[in-house]
Amino acid sequence: MPKYVMVIDVEKCIGCMACVIACKKENNVPEEYFRTRVVEEVRGEFPNLRMELRSELCNHCENAPCIDACPTMASHRAKDGTVQIDRKKCIGCKACILACPYDARYSHPKGFADKCTFCDHRLKEGKKPACVETCLGKSRIFGDLDDPNSEVADLLRKYDSSVRLEFAGTRPRVFYIKKKFAGGM
Amino acid sequence: MTEITITGLNAITHPYLEVWDWRIVIYLFLGGLSAGMLVMCSIANLRIPKQPVEELAQCVRAPLIAFIILAIGAQFIILDLGKPQSLIWGYLTFQPLSLMSWGTWGVPAVLFANALYILAVIPKADRPKLRFPILINLSEKLAPWMRPIAKLNFAMGIFLGIYTGVLLSSFAAIPLWNNATLPILFLVSALSSGAAMIVIIAKNNDIKFLFTKIDIWLIVAELVIILLFFYGLYTSTAPYKNAIAPFFSLSDEHFIFAIALIVIFLVLPLALRIKLGELKEFEGGIHTEFTKSQIFRMNFAASLVLVGTLILRAAIVYAGQLTKLSPY
Amino acid sequence: MSITRRDFLKIAAVTGGAVAATTPAIKSVLALGRKPASLPQFVPTTCEMCFWRCGAIAKVVDGKVVKLDGNPIHPNSRGKLCARGHGGIGLLYDPDRLKTPLINTGARGEGKFKKVSWDEALGFVADKMKKIKEKYGAESIALLTHGTVSTYFMHLLQAFGSPNFAMPSFALCRGARGVAFEVTFGEDVGNPERLDLQNSKAIVLIGSHLGENAHNSQCQEFAEAVGKGATVIVLDPRFSTAAGKAKYWLPIKPATDLAILLAWINLIISEGLYDKEYVAKYTNGFNEVAQAVKEYTPEWAEKETDIPAKLIVETAIVLGKNKPNVLIHPGRHTAWYSDNVQRQRAVAILTAILGSYGRPGGIYLNPKKKLEPVFLSEKDYPDHKPAMNKGKYPFAGEEGVTHEIVRTTLTEEPYPIKAWFITGTNIMKAMPNQKDTLNAVKKLDLLVAVDMMPYDGVMLADVVLPECTYLERHDDFFTVKERSFGISIRQPVVQPMYETKPGWWIAKELGKRLGLEEYFPWNTFEDFLKMKAQTWGIDYSELAKKGYIDFPESAKPYLAPGEDYKFKTHSGKIELYSRELKEKGFDPVPRYTKHSQPSEGWFRLIYGRAPVHTFSRTTNNPSLWELMEENVAWVNAKVAKKMGLKNGEYIVLVNQDGVKSNKVRAKVTERIRPDCIYLVHGFGSTSKLLHRAYHRGADDQQLITRYAIDPIAGTVGMRVNFVKITKEV
Ligand SMILES: Nc1nc2c(c(=O)[nH]1)N[C@H]1C(S)=C(S)[C@@H](COP(=O)(O)OP(=O)(O)OC[C@H]3O[C@@H](n4cnc5c(=O)[nH]c(N)nc54)[C@H](O)[C@@H]3O)O[C@H]1N2
Ligand SMILES: Nc1nc2c(c(=O)[nH]1)N[C@H]1C(S)=C(S)[C@@H](COP(=O)(O)OP(=O)(O)OC[C@H]3O[C@@H](n4cnc5c(=O)[nH]c(N)nc54)[C@H](O)[C@@H]3O)O[C@H]1N2
Ligand code: SF4
Ligand code: SF4
Ligand code: SF4
Ligand code: SF4
Ligand code: SF4
Ligand SMILES: [Mo]
Repeated sequence: MPKYVMVIDVEKCIGCMACVIACKKENNVPEEYFRTRVVEEVRGEFPNLRMELRSELCNHCENAPCIDACPTMASHRAKDGTVQIDRKKCIGCKACILACPYDARYSHPKGFADKCTFCDHRLKEGKKPACVETCLGKSRIFGDLDDPNSEVADLLRKYDSSVRLEFAGTRPRVFYIKKKFAGGM
Repeated sequence: MTEITITGLNAITHPYLEVWDWRIVIYLFLGGLSAGMLVMCSIANLRIPKQPVEELAQCVRAPLIAFIILAIGAQFIILDLGKPQSLIWGYLTFQPLSLMSWGTWGVPAVLFANALYILAVIPKADRPKLRFPILINLSEKLAPWMRPIAKLNFAMGIFLGIYTGVLLSSFAAIPLWNNATLPILFLVSALSSGAAMIVIIAKNNDIKFLFTKIDIWLIVAELVIILLFFYGLYTSTAPYKNAIAPFFSLSDEHFIFAIALIVIFLVLPLALRIKLGELKEFEGGIHTEFTKSQIFRMNFAASLVLVGTLILRAAIVYAGQLTKLSPY
Repeated sequence: MSITRRDFLKIAAVTGGAVAATTPAIKSVLALGRKPASLPQFVPTTCEMCFWRCGAIAKVVDGKVVKLDGNPIHPNSRGKLCARGHGGIGLLYDPDRLKTPLINTGARGEGKFKKVSWDEALGFVADKMKKIKEKYGAESIALLTHGTVSTYFMHLLQAFGSPNFAMPSFALCRGARGVAFEVTFGEDVGNPERLDLQNSKAIVLIGSHLGENAHNSQCQEFAEAVGKGATVIVLDPRFSTAAGKAKYWLPIKPATDLAILLAWINLIISEGLYDKEYVAKYTNGFNEVAQAVKEYTPEWAEKETDIPAKLIVETAIVLGKNKPNVLIHPGRHTAWYSDNVQRQRAVAILTAILGSYGRPGGIYLNPKKKLEPVFLSEKDYPDHKPAMNKGKYPFAGEEGVTHEIVRTTLTEEPYPIKAWFITGTNIMKAMPNQKDTLNAVKKLDLLVAVDMMPYDGVMLADVVLPECTYLERHDDFFTVKERSFGISIRQPVVQPMYETKPGWWIAKELGKRLGLEEYFPWNTFEDFLKMKAQTWGIDYSELAKKGYIDFPESAKPYLAPGEDYKFKTHSGKIELYSRELKEKGFDPVPRYTKHSQPSEGWFRLIYGRAPVHTFSRTTNNPSLWELMEENVAWVNAKVAKKMGLKNGEYIVLVNQDGVKSNKVRAKVTERIRPDCIYLVHGFGSTSKLLHRAYHRGADDQQLITRYAIDPIAGTVGMRVNFVKITKEV
């Protein structure tokens, strides 16, 4: 089983928002909803300011509260290790949306819960996720962590990484690396 | 100063969650009410002398009303489902970690036990009202088992009462909900509302008075647990502490929660005060029929309890969604 | 090159059968009785959501475009599209699109449109044009144009007899830079700019707000450089996204950039930090420059710019140490103040003395490839009165000067202008001083708009001709001068929706009605493209299949060590001291000009881009609107506190001439100097036909009632307006 992860190199995100809309188009995400977002955080006082730009999406948590919350197994761990939603089985109870500490999910107008799939349909075709493919800054890097030669493995070896809300114990598979900037998130 | 700008936000999760609404509030309220009633009428029936059970059953309408209330309550969660047509998938599996799954299985199970109970407590004379021979037959067969069935319903009621609380407290991502006090609070307030409801519907003076007495304890317990609930969160880490903020500021844009808390703390003690008055009045036991105004007073106090319970649930469901673990 | 009409027909006959290859939706009906899953088709084309013109690949399912992706072999996209590129689908399926030709039945600007047939609309326009020509001469018809549609209408109007066209891309955009670099290096830095960002060790961004300015490959390379640890220095009164990546953010007082540039030049020369060999070998006039900049000390610059002298020195050393792998970004939108060309000259001089032109990490050289020009027709344009489109500006560019068209229309000097064609430009948003524009429009006998969307300018038109979007049409080949030379194709990925038509068709049909058939000797534009491809010796079908053809052998990015290189200037050298400018009466070495600053209670209005929008043209795009519905006015946090302004509160801006903006939310932020207000350009549309954009946000252009003209090239300075904040909404 591969261990798909995304590494976000915060320093290289230039806030172009291409990922946000590419994801929407690729996955036919309905109006008003998003599977990924870009957070721009500026700290300090004029003129001593510091900016961090980071993209966020479903973390495909190893310890996923959304799966636990689901009554029908609609939210499940797929064979490739990613966290997926089986639309057919979903009753739209929204428990998973509340259970996710990362606000990664939304309720699709057709009734089911929806979120980032790591573009599993593209992975099957040997392509990268749409947001990664189009990332102007190459800030999003995707790969199989179990493959020691992968770029993601290399980056996580080389740099300190963090995950969002580590204390929540969800063990995210989206890692943030910061080569230059310090500070928590 | 920290400035956060986010591109790509989902309205249902930002700036705060708007996932569950009044439908869930009603579900939790009616579920709790039904649970409380089941527990209370089971108590009533378990109190009666051992022999002969059949004729002595008390609170015979309570289980029926509890059934109806829960059945209606369940409609509200179904109303909230985005895709109820897929419900069958809920019955093809049981997910022990999913409180929704517990509900999926639990509510029908409670209804089933409740139905047995209804049949078991129907007095002989009323059985023909069941119309269908099978039901009449079943009722006859179940009557001798009234006691064990009442025990079962007691347990089911407790389960249902706790379930309505755990359903919320299981969400680790929601600080206001995610604590061990909440299920107990919900259970106690469910029991209290159940007792209140029985006071309202009971025809029998003894029963009315009995549950007035019981409710006194429950209200006291509820008030204490509410305080413990807030205290526990207040002494916890930042997100948990932040979660109760809306309850304690009238200047906050969400001041409605402070008002809700104030109302709860007006309504419940008022009910308590009235009930204590009754207790004093009937110190020597009940010798005559209650007067109209006495009945009104009892029912009024009980209604206050129901209102308090409903507000409590609404406040917690909505306020919970205002604060999350993440800072935005 | 002369191609006869017969050649056309021949080529068309041979290749005619292949036309269908580019039209998608193969419907194979399987005998299974079940609807077969539709196979997606992938059609390469060229993006026109902005002028970077990236290679895009459209994914088409059942005749519907579902996704646009970057073409991996195209150097402007490299497999990626920016947000706006992805949002092309939103344009295609915007229900507010222009759908049929329209004729205004009310007063001009009233926008009482009635739907008419193409025949009626074109007949109407042709009639009017003929009448105007008779009365005033063909030159009285002017063209304001931008984008690819320009090709056909410049051709049409020149064939008709008018040389008077102008594009915003010169005076309102990169004109000043172009002139400065032509004067200095003999050529502009190109479009896309030939910047070797990915190899830069130090990058100076003067305004250039990369990331918000979402020019695709440039952003990619910028991020790459940041990732590799390049030292970024950003001069911007606002903490831009790029400033967020910078080691040095210098929050410069607006309009004083030239001071810091001159101080840098001074320091780099006086500290001996310049590239001595390079300067000696390739440049002219070093001593004159050294002499002229002596007075510009860092201490002096500190007073002008608000940037501490210490930082000016420190950054100059960074530049010197990293030379020649330094990029002083030459900018693009350089229409800032009255001295645009001189400011850009300083950039060019700094680039030259650091030895970074033709060096890794600097500005790479033009690829070498000569292609025979192929014209839309072989017939010469008729004679005409002298053009007025460049005004009296000695260095005005070939693209024309937009405000000269407005001025001439208003003054009728040297001759009256009685009709405007506006094609692919929003005259209300692109050009400053809307009142002048409206007054000029009032004087016209005819105003024709060729557009896809009913943006503000279109609403003024007498006749509206709906062009189909770039995803529904052929356009001329794009010659791409990246590190190597290449050719990019635009072809329809779906058929035109509604009654819209490609620009070439509209021009040709109008030409027909004007008796100019001979200027359009091709049937379809694809015929022309095939002929062009054949002339150039490239395989059209391969181009159509791949979307881009590269000529790798044309690349020659860097000067070889010691190479003798002839620059395209008069002297063949880099002209640090410009004799050309001197001859025409301008400073041969830039001299500092002081610009007025806002007084207490007033703020300078500055503007820029948002990554998800292109000027005004995407404000109604459903896909992009969702990401940014309206702009906000950036107000410094301390100023806001003093004024009692809350973040997100609606305010109104009033400029020095009393013009009030639409209501706009205040963004209370530490990210801007206290003396500026910043708006993203393009918002606050006044067109009621735009369901999303109408009255959303504030229009910077509305507040730009004053503009400063650069006497050298006629470029416009639009950052010379002061505004104050009012809370009455
Ligand atoms: N997303 C997106 N990208 C685009 C476009 C678009 O519409 N949308 N348009 C494209 C086109 S055609 C162009 S020309 C470019 C324009 O983009 P650029 O060439 O980058 O434009 P600038 O005017 O250099 O940059 C605007 C910045 O200048 C700052 N500024 C304002 N006044 C001053 C000043 O006096 N001094 C200094 N140093 N900075 C100042 C503003 O704060 C703002 O951050 O963008 C291109 N890219
Ligand atoms: N205040 C202020 N003024 C500015 C700028 C600024 O930042 N602030 N920026 C300046 C710069 S750098 C530039 S380059 C100019 C840009 O100026 P313009 O190019 O005029 O920009 P837009 O406002 O986007 O208007 C474009 C119009 O062309 C239409 N259009 C787009 N694509 C097509 C097409 O394929 N065919 C046809 N027929 N029509 C099409 C759109 O619908 C829209 O009506 O503005 C300049 N003016
Ligand atoms: S981020 Fe949220 S939705 Fe995604 S796996 Fe984790 S808990 Fe589930
Ligand atoms: S909404 Fe769907 S996926 Fe989420 S918990 Fe309910 S059934 Fe599972
Ligand atoms: S991986 Fe796919 S689904 Fe997930 S955010 Fe990226 S594009 Fe969207
Ligand atoms: S595409 Fe990449 S660089 Fe652009 S905003 Fe998204 S993560 Fe950042
Ligand atoms: S930069 Fe973006 S909008 Fe411009 S051509 Fe490229 S993809 Fe299209
Ligand atoms: Mo521009």
